[in-house]
Amino acid sequence: MFWTPRKATSATAQSAAPAVAPPRPDDALTKSKVFPKFLNAVSKQPSPILLDLGPVVGPNIQFFGDRLACKIVIEDVFGVIERAAAAGDRASLGAALSSQFARDENSVDGILCWDVFDYLDRDAGRTLASRLTAILKPGGSLYGFFGTTDVELDHYSRVTVEAEDLLRVRSYPATKVRRTVLVTRDVNRMFEGLRVAESVLLKTSARECLFRKP
Amino acid sequence: MWKRDEAPRPPQPAAPTPAPAVPEPPARVEATRQPGRDVVNIGKSVVIKGELSASEDLTIEGQVEGKVDLRQNTLTIGTNAKITAQVSAKVVIVMGHVHGNISATEKVDIRDNGSVDGDLSAPRVAIAEGAHFRGSIDMQQAKSGSETKPASASPTVASSVPQPHTPPAAVGAR
Repeated sequence: MFWTPRKATSATAQSAAPAVAPPRPDDALTKSKVFPKFLNAVSKQPSPILLDLGPVVGPNIQFFGDRLACKIVIEDVFGVIERAAAAGDRASLGAALSSQFARDENSVDGILCWDVFDYLDRDAGRTLASRLTAILKPGGSLYGFFGTTDVELDHYSRVTVEAEDLLRVRSYPATKVRRTVLVTRDVNRMFEGLRVAESVLLKTSARECLFRKP
Repeated sequence: MWKRDEAPRPPQPAAPTPAPAVPEPPARVEATRQPGRDVVNIGKSVVIKGELSASEDLTIEGQVEGKVDLRQNTLTIGTNAKITAQVSAKVVIVMGHVHGNISATEKVDIRDNGSVDGDLSAPRVAIAEGAHFRGSIDMQQAKSGSETKPASASPTVASSVPQPHTPPAAVGAR
């Protein structure tokens, strides 16, 4: 797992920023080798546009604004997943995600996927990956991480960028779902059209990946 | 400034002589000015449809549909406010609900339980935990386009204010 989840609270996930406790010493801090390269790649683009698939995180907005002076688009995919899961309708996720990203092709310089693919079945994952590949600009970068252990997930992650190479990961409750474990070959196939620029297996068994669009 | 007092008044003893006639304040005053500084409050029962502009700080607790323009001042959208409008101000503080784009020359601050569905454009953006936001955040355009136009001399409510006890002049009267 990418982090050690804390005990879930009673809050439910929604499109609003999830209610999570303020940082505590036991929040998982992860040293990232790949994230600084993602930032570096995006910062080289003129007036970059960054697409964040996670819930809105205030400190990240400030961080990206200062570091990249970019336009940030928030699309809380976890909120979409949770609504479908709570309604017992995960089968419609592919269509829901496809319609969520009505952006033009080749319109985004950077995409932050976090661990969203852990929560999607393979069909929905392929649909989302295909759409993200299309909207990424040539030269653009996509960052994500993929769990490698087959466990039941009862939380989503909320990642706060503490520094260029330091991510604080906190959890908030989710409707339970079995993690979709994707081996490296599956991930590479899913993002056909992108090139794997970096792939690092963390001590936590998560695979951290950076893709570039040629 | 006074505040509406809706608490039941205690029964008064019968006076032998009638009290002198004192003009009573209006039953409801929704737009009020805070003493000591130029801040105008728009009460929660006020509904404004149209364009709202001002040259002093403004707090909205009511509903606004249309456009809000405070180019050189701070706009506070209170916890009870529901705004469906394009919002422009120097600083925008959101504690209520906004559906529409927000543009600030200095800062947008979405506080806990604040909700924004729309795009933000500002050099600085703060979003608290517990806030809702869906849209895009543009800090680059705001940095390059931070020119401010002079606002009108006095605030005006260029709209219908369907509250009979809320004269438009009260919004911007000095």
